[in-house]
Formats: sequence, C-alpha cells, structure tokens
Amino acid sequence: MRVSFTEWTKSGSPWVWLNAGAVAICMIMVIGLLGLIAVRGLGHFWPADIMQAKYTENGNTMIVAGEIVEQEQVPATQLRDAGVKVPEGLEFMQRDLIKVGNRDVGGSDFLWMLDEFLSERSYPEMMFAAERREWGNFYGYLRGLKENGKLVASHDGFEKTDAYMTLWNEFQNRIDRALEIHDQIKDIEKGDIGSINYELERLRLKQRSLELKGVTDQSRYADIDARRAELNAEYEVLQKDLLDLYEAFNRDSLVAVTASGQQVEIGVGKIVRAFLPNNMGTGDKIGHYIGKLWEFMSDEPREANTEGGIFPAIFGTIMMVLLMSIMVTPFGVVAAVYLREYARQGFVTRLIRIAVNNLAGVPSIVYGVFGLGFFVYFLGGNIDDLFFPEAKPAPTFGTPGLMWASLTLALLTVPVVIVATEEGLSRIPRAMREGSLALGATKFETLWKVVLPMASPAMMTGVILAIARAAGEVAPLMLVGVVKLAPSLPLDLNYPFLHLDQKFMHLGFHIYDVGFQSPNVEAARPLVYATALLLVAVIALLNLSAIAIRNHLREKYKALEM
Amino acid sequence: MMNTEAKTHAIDIASMQRDKQTLSLENEEHTLKVNNLKLFYGDNEALHGIDMVIPKNRVTAFIGPSGCGKSTLLRCFNRMNDLVDGCRIEGEIMLDGNNIYDRAVDVAELRRRVGMVFQKPNPFPKSIYENVAYGLRIQGVNKKRILDETVEWALKSAALWDEVKDRLHESALGMSGGQQQRLVIARTIAVKPEVLLLDEPASALDPISTLKIEELIHELKKDFTIAIVTHNMQQAARVSDYTAFMYMGDLIEFGVTDTLFTNPSQKQTEDYITGRYG
Repeated sequence: MRVSFTEWTKSGSPWVWLNAGAVAICMIMVIGLLGLIAVRGLGHFWPADIMQAKYTENGNTMIVAGEIVEQEQVPATQLRDAGVKVPEGLEFMQRDLIKVGNRDVGGSDFLWMLDEFLSERSYPEMMFAAERREWGNFYGYLRGLKENGKLVASHDGFEKTDAYMTLWNEFQNRIDRALEIHDQIKDIEKGDIGSINYELERLRLKQRSLELKGVTDQSRYADIDARRAELNAEYEVLQKDLLDLYEAFNRDSLVAVTASGQQVEIGVGKIVRAFLPNNMGTGDKIGHYIGKLWEFMSDEPREANTEGGIFPAIFGTIMMVLLMSIMVTPFGVVAAVYLREYARQGFVTRLIRIAVNNLAGVPSIVYGVFGLGFFVYFLGGNIDDLFFPEAKPAPTFGTPGLMWASLTLALLTVPVVIVATEEGLSRIPRAMREGSLALGATKFETLWKVVLPMASPAMMTGVILAIARAAGEVAPLMLVGVVKLAPSLPLDLNYPFLHLDQKFMHLGFHIYDVGFQSPNVEAARPLVYATALLLVAVIALLNLSAIAIRNHLREKYKALEM
Repeated sequence: MMNTEAKTHAIDIASMQRDKQTLSLENEEHTLKVNNLKLFYGDNEALHGIDMVIPKNRVTAFIGPSGCGKSTLLRCFNRMNDLVDGCRIEGEIMLDGNNIYDRAVDVAELRRRVGMVFQKPNPFPKSIYENVAYGLRIQGVNKKRILDETVEWALKSAALWDEVKDRLHESALGMSGGQQQRLVIARTIAVKPEVLLLDEPASALDPISTLKIEELIHELKKDFTIAIVTHNMQQAARVSDYTAFMYMGDLIEFGVTDTLFTNPSQKQTEDYITGRYG
C-alpha cells in the first residue's frame, strides 16, 4: 500500500524516526568514545611480539628489534623530497613506528621505518624484553649473569636450548630476589623512616612554637631533645639496615647484547620484570596482561609518570571528590532550605536564585583563580599566621593543597546542590507539612523530621550531579592543589592521618601531564587512553554508589506520589 | 448492596440519636467560642463575622456548599490559616477563655491542644509506630514504655490496633486508605488534644471505611470535643450533635442537629438540606 508523503508526515513517523535517529547517534558516539579509549588504552598492556629485522635505507644497513606500534601511509613525493631513495612508480609507502627501546644504547626508543626497507624479518624466541626503572624497555639477548662484578653464569647461543633456559631461569630468580629486597627498602624508606622524619619535623615545629611563645621552661625543651635523640638512634639503626639492603640489592647484574650486537651490562635491581614475548603462549600473555593491568591500577608511577601505575592519582581523585561531597552537601542543603522555606519569596529571593543558577555557568578556571586568591593566599595565609606560625616561612595551608582543591570544587558545584535540593523541597506535599504542624510540631521540627528526610533523595541527586561535575574538573585544580607527582598519599598512618594540607595527584591532570608534558610522549600516549578510561570508570563508580544511596532513600521515603 | 447500606445507616442513626433528645446549646460547656471572626485572603473577605460556640464533648458538624468557608473556619481553630500567604484574621476565638489569636500564644502548643485530621490521609513515610509516636517525640517524650503505652492506647482508640498490632514497625504507606485515615486519627489523639478538628475525614474513603470512621467519631466524643466538616449531609446527621450551616462565608444557622435537619428555621438551610441548591 502506498502512502502519500503528507499522510506519512501526518502519521508522525518522520518525527519518530528523527527522535530514534538522534538517540542512535548519541549511543554510537558514547560507545565509540568508550570503545576507542578502551582499545587504545587497554591494548598497551598486551605483550607484543618483538620483531627483529634488517633495515636498509640509502645504502646504510642496521639491525633493529622492537615492537611495531603504529603504521601509516606516507606520500612518496614527501619522502623523495626528504632524500629517501624511493623505488619508481610508488605513490605511497608504508611507514612503521617501531618501539626499539634501549634508550641508553641507541638514544631514542621509538623509530619510524619504511616497511619496504625492512628485510629478513624474524621473531626470535630468545629475544627478551625487560622493563626497567630507568631508561625504558630493554630488548636483547641474555648473555650472562654477574654477582659482585664477577661472571657466575653465561651462555652464547641465540637458539632456545636448555642451557639458555637455565640461564634465563637463574636470571628470573635473581629478579625475584631483587624485587623482594626492593620492597623491604621501600617499606623502610617510606614507612619507618618516613614516620621518623615526620615526627622529627613535628618536634622541630613544637620546639619552634615553644620558642615563639617565649617558653623558658628548659624541661620541656629537654623532653623534645630526648625524644629527638631517641628517634635519631632509631634512624641510625634503620640507616644501617638500609645500607646492607642496598648492597644486597645491587649485588647482581646481567650481561646482554642488543640486536645490533652491542654488549650492555644492567643491574638486576634496575629491572622490574623481564619476559620472552615471542616465547609466550596465549595463557602466559593473558597472565602477563592481567599483571600489568593490576600494576597500572595499584602501583606508583615511574619514569616521569610514563611507566608504572597511577594508584596515587586514583586515590587522590576519589579522596578529593569525597571531601568535596562532604563539604558541598551541608552547605548547599542549608542554603536551599533557607531560600525555599524561610526566606520571603519575592524580588530578592528571585535575584538570588538567578545569581546561584548563573554561578553554575562561570568557567571553572575562574573558580581556580578565586580559590588560589581567596582560599590559598588569603584564608590559608591567615590560618598559617594564626595556627602554624612555627612552620613559617614554609607555608602549611598557605599553599595549594587537598583542602583548598576540595573547597574550590565545592564552591563550583554548590549551585547544583542548591537547585536540586530546592526542587526536592518544593515537591514535598503540603499535606505532609500540615500533618506535622497540626500535631504541635514547630516549623523547624517539621523540616527536620519530615521534610528533610523526604527531600533526601533530591539532595542525593544534587550530590550526584556535583560529583559528576567535580570529578572531571581539571583546570581549577591545577591552581589549587594538584601536582604531577605527590611524594605521599594524603591519607597515611602518621597522625593526624588525613593530611588536608598536602598536594595530591589527580587522574584528569595526570592525563594532561602524561600526554603533553612528559619527556617521552610516544611511550606515554597509550597511557593517556588508559588513564582516561580509568577516570571514566572512577567517575562511574562514584556516581553509581551515590545513585545506590539515592535509590535506597527513595525506597524509604516513597510518599511523594500523594 | 444499596439496600443493605441504607439499612445499616438507618440503624446507625437510630442508635446515635438516643441521647440527642435532651440536647440544648444553653446547657453545654463551651470549649471554643468564636466572636465576630472575619477572615481575609488579601482584600477578599472570606468569612463575614462568625459568632458561634463549639460545645465540649460533642460533635459539631459544619455543612454547606463548596466554597462556603466551612473548611476555612475549621482551619482557624488551630491557626492553620497562618501558613497561607496574605491571610488575615479579625475577631477572636476563645479556647478555655483565652484568645488563640493573642500574640502571646504558642502556636505549636495550641495545635497540640487542637488536633486536626485532613481530607486525604497523610501518614508520614515512617513506620506505623513512629507515625503515632511522632507527636510525643516532638514533645520530648522518648521513654519506650510511655511511647509503647500511648501508641497502643491511641491505636486502640482509633479502632486500628487489632489490624496492625503485628506490623507496627512496617511502613504506614503500605496500609489501605481507610486504615491510613484511622492511623492519622490515632496519631492526632496520641498527643491527647482537647479538640479534634476533622476536615472531611471520610471524603476520600470507600463506604465501609467511612462507616468505620463514623463509628469512631461516635466513640471519640466521650474524650474529645469534635468539630467535623462534611459535604455529606447524611453523615452530618448521623454523627453530629450540633450542626452549623454555612453559606458564602456566613453562618446561616447553628443548632441541634435533629432540629436543624427536621425543622430548620432559615429558608436557606431548608433549601440546602432538601437539595434545592448546593
């Protein structure tokens, strides 16, 4: 049956198609976005095969080994202009980006090479990849192991033989031993010595504060000195342990040759993990992948944030958002209650509402500037003068930190909470208020016992929106507390446990920093995607927990349909 | 079905009318006394000088067509109209000899003494127990024994105890409309008010629940002074001792229910109760 165009229009079908189309496009964009960052980011942790090949360009030959990271087509004319001898009749040539590692040997760990000029490709089973604490990855063949500078084991072949594998296993054992010692060293340095340093600093401040107050009672100084001597003694002991540990840690080293035949000696302590990618089965690779992923989420960053994990950034982000929620909720709710319940509705309240709504539209960097000027310099400066004069001239709160960052974001999101709470308050049926008032409750009691509990789901909606806005915010944070690398987490075992004055790391800033401020942009690019994915996941997690709380409250106070 | 209902009502009226023969306003003790009460919404005068009394331990019904001001008048008795923007009151209402519109009056305390039940059941989204205990908790009563006793007494007085005693700590929102309204009544009497204002308490309920509420009113007047607004004349006739007929913001006629319904002194009253308008 044919339907005329007018009839088709009248039936509303085009309208339905239009709406469905818009939804479909949105869905595709969201899925595409998440898909892209997921693929790019998560692919990074897969142990790629290492290719070894001969590269000949303009008569020069070299042997390279590495992972192919990216491929692209380049116009031949462009290459000819650059002086490359391109074979006749070619319009485009494929160019590969190869991660060759060995930055300490070759200078750069990524090379662009023309696919055409690569020959004698092979994937040698015994080529190993080592992740190091410095200088990025190393690719090469294991030649021998040294203990205290003396060669204890060696092998010369390039094929997979029992002798090679024995050497390899010995190498793995020594890595495990070094990692164990590394953990012990870290425990002592960050844990025990960290606590001692922290307490010493507090003692110094205490003494300084006594001096500032003009206390002359020598016994109090003596107490401090006694405690300090105790701590110093403890420190000496630990320091000696540390020396021993370092000696043990630096005992082993390995000898290896690169694909081009250069011999290199690397301390085993410098290696985080070593593996033979070309010799790994799928199961091994999956295991390796999961291990790397876990390291990414649970470990600290290495090498200017381009390697290792981003745990401090995850922690900092969550911490800041939680603090922000704790600050913004009471503030926004109280303001909304006044505006909706107590203030006389009129011109002034309308004006205030407009102002609050517009506050939500102020660019976030402006909040950052305000936070820096008012919170950090003015408030923080005054707090330092009043409460921490002993630490001066070093600022305590008069410098960007976790508290100011949370407070700035709380300010940024307070309009959202106010609007949502007001909305919720206005939806409480009049009958509920009257019912309570008719029982002899005052307005305050009615608010506190009936209205506010019933409006709590709306408040949570406000908090959810605030979290969504705050967690992704980066610009103002750069001014009020986020740093590239924070030496310690803002929450630890040293009194007072939560250090609101400390600077912290943040996933959003981490993305910017790793992607654009790191010395090794090529190596860091996959991390940008991985971190972005993680940021999305963290925000989703925070939101989901808030939504779960809201749904629970809704269930409890579901009288609104009256 | 219609027949049975009509029959039930007939029996009810008979039983309720037993003691009405001897009623007379002059012999009553007055709980509330309204003197020349005028109420304005902005410039609009909604009540034009009402004078009447609410006798103690009796049921006083207010009838009249929609918009006649009967609910407005009822809401004056516990100053619920204070919540309405632009509402102004002249004249006085005396509760036990004191003007409730006096500056010195504590409104919360007044509302505790003059409780109110609304048209639609409005239980709080709390448990049945907490709904009834709400008024007590507001007064600072937190002793579990006292709360338990009062809740049980209030629920029994509201003829609800047997239905809910096994689920006191479940949400009140799971109850039927009629149960909710009786819960609201229980909640109101739990604070032991002197006067109970009922603003069309059965208008949102089914006939069976309505009947239960009416029986309840009959029971409650032993302990409380009751004022009820209703647009159902049969209901007024069934439950009340005295009836006030209001029209357009004026009190047209006020007297013993039987007399008002059988032998109204005003033409307007007669027209209304015989269904000629309204």
